Amino acid sequence: MNCDDARVLMHGQLDGELDLAADLEVQRHIDECPRCASEYAAMRAMRARLKDEAFRFEAPAALKERIRRAIPASPPSQAGAYPSRRGRWVPRAIRFAVPMAIGAMLALIVAPRTIGPGLNQRLASEVVASHVRSLMASHLMDVASTDQHTVKPWFNGKLDFSPPVNDFAKDGFPLVGGRLDYIDGRQVAALVYQHGKHVINVFMWPTAGDTTSAEKIETEHGYNVDQLTVAGMNCWVVSDLNQQELDRFARLIRAKG
Amino acid sequence: MGGRETRLPDESKAVDFDRTFIPHMDAAYNLARWLVRDDHDAQDVVQDAYLRAFRFAAGFRGGDPRAWILAIVRNTAFTWLKRNRGPDSPTEFDEKLHGGVGEESGLEADAVRKADGAMIRAALDELTDEFREVILMRDIEGLSYKEIADVAEVPIGTVMSRLARARGKLARLLQHQIAQERIPKER
Repeated sequence: MNCDDARVLMHGQLDGELDLAADLEVQRHIDECPRCASEYAAMRAMRARLKDEAFRFEAPAALKERIRRAIPASPPSQAGAYPSRRGRWVPRAIRFAVPMAIGAMLALIVAPRTIGPGLNQRLASEVVASHVRSLMASHLMDVASTDQHTVKPWFNGKLDFSPPVNDFAKDGFPLVGGRLDYIDGRQVAALVYQHGKHVINVFMWPTAGDTTSAEKIETEHGYNVDQLTVAGMNCWVVSDLNQQELDRFARLIRAKG
Repeated sequence: MGGRETRLPDESKAVDFDRTFIPHMDAAYNLARWLVRDDHDAQDVVQDAYLRAFRFAAGFRGGDPRAWILAIVRNTAFTWLKRNRGPDSPTEFDEKLHGGVGEESGLEADAVRKADGAMIRAALDELTDEFREVILMRDIEGLSYKEIADVAEVPIGTVMSRLARARGKLARLLQHQIAQERIPKER
């Protein structure tokens, strides 16, 4: 392998995009060529520096809100690919206020036909819809506090159960607040955690029967969902966080429960 | 009654759109923001792209929704750039023109490590759009070569060579900047 090839292929190697043979060949060249080794070290450092979250621009909340509003209201295409988007039958007053609630309702109607009648699948759709709604509607929290002793009493009198509230800040998942939500036809507690830039919603309500801790991971259109049972609570964890990290978080919750 | 039967699939598509593409709005904005380099303009681009994506959603045949929405954002951004900053931006990107890989100066990792955030941001701004976007998609957004190839509509091999040139250029800009700072300013 010559230096020109190595200078290109080292990037594939750093990114884990090469097959084993090419990977080893690049490595061999770098071990033998001090100039390429120095270039390689610089590129590795370059990659590491760019991983910084600070370089990532986050979409302003106002933009998200604007798009959420614009999409259901947008006119149908000429060809009539979308004849009458909800305008025909949804009362005007709730048209913008609860589009995602409609989404959740439709998930109930559509899910049994398209993805089978599983209760968990339906609940997964519901918690994802709730999670998205909480982020879109600027209604992430009713009580904003990083103190579990503020959040837990806040639920008293608002729910007929007391959800376990723990802060996992030292593990990188600080509690940021809580709110009331509505899942599976009942009021539930929603705890909000943060991990880096990612928001995690934890929905909790008492289980009907068995209390065995059954963890299940699902992916719903880019969101990851973990389901577990903790201290007699049905517990659903949802975020755009990657599965490993969300799984780690779920284990923290279970350990406390 | 016939209306009811046709309505349901359309509504279900709307649900799908929300849950499939809305989660990637941060990635969409990030790409647009780095390409047009202005918050307000980037918001316009993302909104425009999402409305277009919504119209084309029926054409989404599974696959990676993030790559799909990013491809639309990218096209929208480039159209926007051509219209608003027209003459400045080269319409055709020449792989050979924009810096070879085996460039003159050697690189040292130390220079890269010493660069601060502002310096890196400024250097990224100096890159051509094609260099900036490939670094953005790979290093900041974490897309695979395959996904980048899909978004930018180039072969995977081009993704790798472009990334090599882009990172090399960026690192050299930083190294140059660091070296400049070592020279005491004349008074």
